Amino acid sequence: MVVTADVVLPEESELTVEEVNLSTASLRAGSFHLGKYCEQANNEFMLCRFEEDDPRKCINEGKAVTACTMDFFRKVKKACVAEFNQYANCIDKSSGDFSLQHCRKTQGVFDKCMLENLNLERPPFGYFCEPRVHDTKRPKPPPEPKAVYPDATPGLPDDAERKPARFGSRFYWMTE
Amino acid sequence: MAEACQIARKQDLPPPGGYKPIPFKRVPAKTYFSGYTLFAGYIGVTIGAIYLYNLTLKKVKKHEIEMRSAKMAIYPMLLAERDREYLKQLRRNRDAEAELMRDVPGWEVGTYYGERIYKLVPPDALVEPIFHEYYAHSSPTEWFKRAYIKLRS
Repeated sequence: MVVTADVVLPEESELTVEEVNLSTASLRAGSFHLGKYCEQANNEFMLCRFEEDDPRKCINEGKAVTACTMDFFRKVKKACVAEFNQYANCIDKSSGDFSLQHCRKTQGVFDKCMLENLNLERPPFGYFCEPRVHDTKRPKPPPEPKAVYPDATPGLPDDAERKPARFGSRFYWMTE
Repeated sequence: MAEACQIARKQDLPPPGGYKPIPFKRVPAKTYFSGYTLFAGYIGVTIGAIYLYNLTLKKVKKHEIEMRSAKMAIYPMLLAERDREYLKQLRRNRDAEAELMRDVPGWEVGTYYGERIYKLVPPDALVEPIFHEYYAHSSPTEWFKRAYIKLRS
């Protein structure tokens, strides 16, 4: 394997947190409210993950995401468990790909409960497909420095004589 | 012999009144629509079909956007969980390789007898192993299950 002994991997104990033990149907059922509730943590994690491009550097952000998700589903369990289960059951059994379009009635019931008890509104259509600006305190990683090759062909000096093109242009195939 | 040739013979002649006239006149099939009507009908049906198609297309696009939204909303949580499990497994693999190659003199984990595979990346960089290396120390059944999913999804 390519992972050598020099590569710092986090210990198992650092990585062990309580994971979200839910089915796909349940996650889909709660997805919109979850995305809105944990928007800050999610954006922070995804920005870190895509900027750093290294799973080791975003462990803490990832833990925050999981903690926020657990918190959200605990609140749902406390407030709207019957409506949530009804909606998740509908999503599970109405189609083969967990489509939401067959479950508008149960969705309405669930949304109403969430709005009344947790004051969480369902985000507008296509909200999570839109680009969003996220303000973070984490410093941006420096861009990769330009490679310097010692044996590169030296360029012309700045004060070299530059004659006008003999054939009217300097397209790449016109080797004057 | 001469008597045998005396039988009265009947000449093959047209029926009385002559043959029927030959029906050479062209009988075209009955036309329900003229050519222009057919073109107009085709254009009309096509326009109607395009309208209905667009109605359905809008519905399908809306459905796709909704499903994509739902997936993207839970993606950070799934990715965080996956990253943690992935790093755990990398450590398990590395430990397994160290244990397996313990008796081989000169073997260093992650290298070929001390020669690194990727020489230009910094030593601390995490290069994600390929699928077969990642599953190298697991049971073949698990490998097969995962490979099977990957080929068919």
